[in-house]
Amino acid sequence: MNHDPFQWGRPSNETYGAYNHQIANAGVPDNTTHASLDAFPKMHTQQPIITGTSVIASKFNNGIIMAADNVGSYGSLLRFSNIERLIKVGSETVVGLSGDVSDMQQIERILDELETSEEVYDNDGGDYLRAANVHEYLSRVMYNRRSKMNPLWNSIIVGGFYRDRTPFLKYVDLVGVTYSSSTIATGFGSHLAIPLLRNLIPEDKDYVKVDEQQITKVVEDSMRVLFYRDARSGDKYSQVIIKLDEEGKVVFEFTKEVKVENQSWRFAKDIRGYGSSQQ
Amino acid sequence: MTSIGTGYDLSNSVFSPDGRNFQVEYAMKAVENGGTSIGIKCKDGVVLAVEKIINSKLLVPGKNKRIQTVDRHIGVVYSGLLPDGRHFVNRARDEAQSFKSIYKNSISVPHLMDRLGIYVQNYTCYNSVRPFGIVSIVGGIDDNGPHLYMIEPSGSCWGYSGAATGKGRQLAKSELEKLNYEELEIKEAVKLAAKIIHLAHEDNKDKDYELEISWVSKEFTKGRHEFVPDDLLEEAKKFAEEDDDEEEEEEEEGDEMQE
Amino acid sequence: MFRNNYDNDSVTYSPTGRLFQVEYALEAIKQGSAAVGLTSKNHVVLVALKRNAEELGSFQKKLIKIDDHIGIALAGLAPDARVLSNYLRRQAMSSKMIFDKPIQTYKAVLSIADKAQENTQTYGARPYGVGLLIGGYDETGAHLFEFQPSGSVLEYYGAAIGARSQAARTYLERNLDEIRNSESTEALIVHGLNALRDTLSQDIELTNKNTSVSIVGKDQEFVVYDDEDVQQWLDKLDSVSNARNRDDDDDNNNNNNNDEEVKDEEVKEENAETTESAADAPDTTEGDDRMETDE
Repeated sequence: MNHDPFQWGRPSNETYGAYNHQIANAGVPDNTTHASLDAFPKMHTQQPIITGTSVIASKFNNGIIMAADNVGSYGSLLRFSNIERLIKVGSETVVGLSGDVSDMQQIERILDELETSEEVYDNDGGDYLRAANVHEYLSRVMYNRRSKMNPLWNSIIVGGFYRDRTPFLKYVDLVGVTYSSSTIATGFGSHLAIPLLRNLIPEDKDYVKVDEQQITKVVEDSMRVLFYRDARSGDKYSQVIIKLDEEGKVVFEFTKEVKVENQSWRFAKDIRGYGSSQQ
Repeated sequence: MTSIGTGYDLSNSVFSPDGRNFQVEYAMKAVENGGTSIGIKCKDGVVLAVEKIINSKLLVPGKNKRIQTVDRHIGVVYSGLLPDGRHFVNRARDEAQSFKSIYKNSISVPHLMDRLGIYVQNYTCYNSVRPFGIVSIVGGIDDNGPHLYMIEPSGSCWGYSGAATGKGRQLAKSELEKLNYEELEIKEAVKLAAKIIHLAHEDNKDKDYELEISWVSKEFTKGRHEFVPDDLLEEAKKFAEEDDDEEEEEEEEGDEMQE
Repeated sequence: MFRNNYDNDSVTYSPTGRLFQVEYALEAIKQGSAAVGLTSKNHVVLVALKRNAEELGSFQKKLIKIDDHIGIALAGLAPDARVLSNYLRRQAMSSKMIFDKPIQTYKAVLSIADKAQENTQTYGARPYGVGLLIGGYDETGAHLFEFQPSGSVLEYYGAAIGARSQAARTYLERNLDEIRNSESTEALIVHGLNALRDTLSQDIELTNKNTSVSIVGKDQEFVVYDDEDVQQWLDKLDSVSNARNRDDDDDNNNNNNNDEEVKDEEVKEENAETTESAADAPDTTEGDDRMETDE
C-alpha cells in the first residue's frame, strides 16, 4: 500500500490503468435538469483535504503507548499546527487517527455518540466500553462507508486493554482492513517508525519484555526520525500512555505539546537526489 | 367525576361541551398514585429525587433505577406509568442527539423542554394514541446555569425552582415552598431532597421505599448528571430520619391546628 | 352485568387512570403454566411447568435460549413469546456483530420493554399477552428480570409468573437468604423446583415430561434440561407433588393449608383457566393498579 494519504485506497495503476478523473470531475452543465442530474454519476470523497500524518503506537509490558503530531496539512502547506489527533474514548481507550481531518472530526462525533449511548444511558455499572468494542464498532463504520463507496479517509489505531487486562492494539482503515500487532504505525510511520519499534519488539509476543521507559525512548526517537524525513510532520506531538498501576487500575496519561528534542540536522547536507542545488 | 357516562371521556382528542379533554385528566390520575418525585433547583445545580416504592422483598435493592440520564448534563425523574416514562426519556435522548448532530453542541435544557412539550402535546391530539401517563421533572445545567422543568400529560411545561409530583406531591410542595432558592447550595439541597421525600412518604406509609437521588453540579460533577455518591446519600438519609421524632410532634401540632 | 366502557382498547384511560386492556394482558400471563426464576451470586436458574393440550400431544416449550449467556422462561401466549425471543436474539447478534461483545442482560431486557410499551400507547395494536423471566450472566454478574406486557421490567433475586405463581413467590421469599447463598448450582435448582412444586394443583406432580430446568452463570453457558435429562434433578427432591396436597387429601385444595399469602385470587385463577372469559371486566375499585409498577 502506498502510504501517501492521497494514494490510499486507490487501485494500482499498473493493474487497472489510470483512473479516469473525468468520470467524477466533469463539471455540471448550466442547462442541468433534475433528470439529467440523476443520470450524472454521484461524486463522493476523491481525496483528503486537510490531512494529519502518521500515528505510531506500541504495546509494552504494562500497557500501550501512542503518539501523533499536531500538524494539519493542506497539500504540502503546513496549514494548522494545533490539531489533536488522539481521542480518549470511555475510560480506558485511545483512538489515534491519521488522514483527513474533517473525517476525523466526524469520527470524533460518532465516538461521542457511542460513548453517550453505551456509558451514559441506563448504565448498569461495570460493563463499559473497552478498546476491543470501540475497534469493532469503528471497523463496522469504516467498512460500511467504503461499501457505500463513500469512505471516511482515515487510518485508525485503537489502543487500550482487553477484559483480562492484557494490552490491546488494533488497526482499521478507510477500506475496512483491520489487523492487530504489538507495534502499529500509519502513514509514513509504517516506513520510518516500524523498523525502530520492531528493533525493540521483534515479534508480537516480545512486548512483555519491554517496559514503559524503553518504549517511550523509542517512540521519542521515532517521532524525531519522522520529523526529519516526513515533510508533512511537525516537531510538536501528543502522547498517550495507558497502563495499569499496582492495584490493576487503569491509569490514563495524556501528555500534550511534547517537543521533538535533541535534533541534529548534520545528516541533511549529505542528502542527495531531491533536486537540491548543491548536488 | 360528574361527566362519567356522558361519553365525552371515552376517546382521546375529544372536547366535552364545557371544553375539557377528559382523557388527559384521567392520565393525570395515573400519575397521582405513583411514588413521589421531586426536583430542586439551587444556585449551583439541580437535584432530583424519587421515592421508589418497594412492592416485593424479592426485588434487588439498589437496582431498577428510576432516575435516567438524557444527555451528559440532563437528568429526568417521573411519576406514573413507568414504561411511559421510558418512552419519554427515549424521545428526549433522540432529541438531544439529533440536536447535537446538527449543531455540534449539546442541547440547552429550555430548548429540549420546548421540543418535548411539543411531543407530549401531540399525544393529546389524536384518538389513535393516548396521552402520556407520567409527569416528568427534568433538570440540568447548560451555559445559562441550572434549569428545572416539569412537564404534564397535557404537554404543558413550566420552569420551577422546586417541583413535586406523584402521590405525596401536596406534602412535598408545601415543604418546597419553605426553601430559599437564592441561597440554597447543592449539598444542602441533596439532604433536603431526602428529607422531603421522607416526609412525603407519609402518604404511602404502609409500603417500604428506597430513596434515589441524582444531581447536576458544576463543582461536584463537572456539569454531568450523576447519582449522588454513596456516602452523601447515606448522610442525606441520616439527615432525613434524624429529626423524625421532632417532625412527628410538629405534625401532630399541625393536625390539631387544622382541626 | 356491569358494562365497562373503558376496556375496549389500550389507548383509553379509565376515570381512575387505569388501562384495562393492559391489565387484561397481564391476566393472560396467569392463564399460562408457571415459571420460576431465582439467582445466587453467580448463577440464574429458570424452571417451568409444561402443559400438553391433550394426552397424546407434545408439551409446550417454556424455556428459550437467546444467546450463550441469556435465556428466558415464558408464561402466557407462547406465540407472542416467540416474537419477543426472536427480537432478543437479533439484539444479541447485533451486539456481537457491532461491538464484539455479548449483549448486557439489562440492555437486552430494556429493548423488549420499549417495544412492548409502544403497543400500550397506540391504537390498532394489542399489548403482548406474555410474561417473561429473563436470566442472564454477563460482566456485571448474574441477573434475573421479569418482563410484563405493560413494558415494565424489574430486576429480582427470585420471581415467578403464571398460574398459581403466588405460591412459588411465597416459597422464594421464605428461603431467600438460603437461595442467595447457594454454593452449588444443584442447591439452586432444587430450590427452583421446590418453588415450582408449590404451584402444582393436586392432580399433577412434577415429572420429567412436564418439567423444564435451565441454568446459566459463571463458566456455565445457558443450558436447558428436558425429558430424561430432567430426571437427575427430580431425583434430588424429597417429593414431586405439592406439599399442601400431600398433607391433606381434601378435595378442596386451597383452603386447607393456612398459608395466608396464597390469596383468594389464586382460587379464582384456577377457575379462570376453565370458565372465565377474559373480557369480564374486573371491578373498578381503586387500589389494584397493576400497571403502576412502583405503587
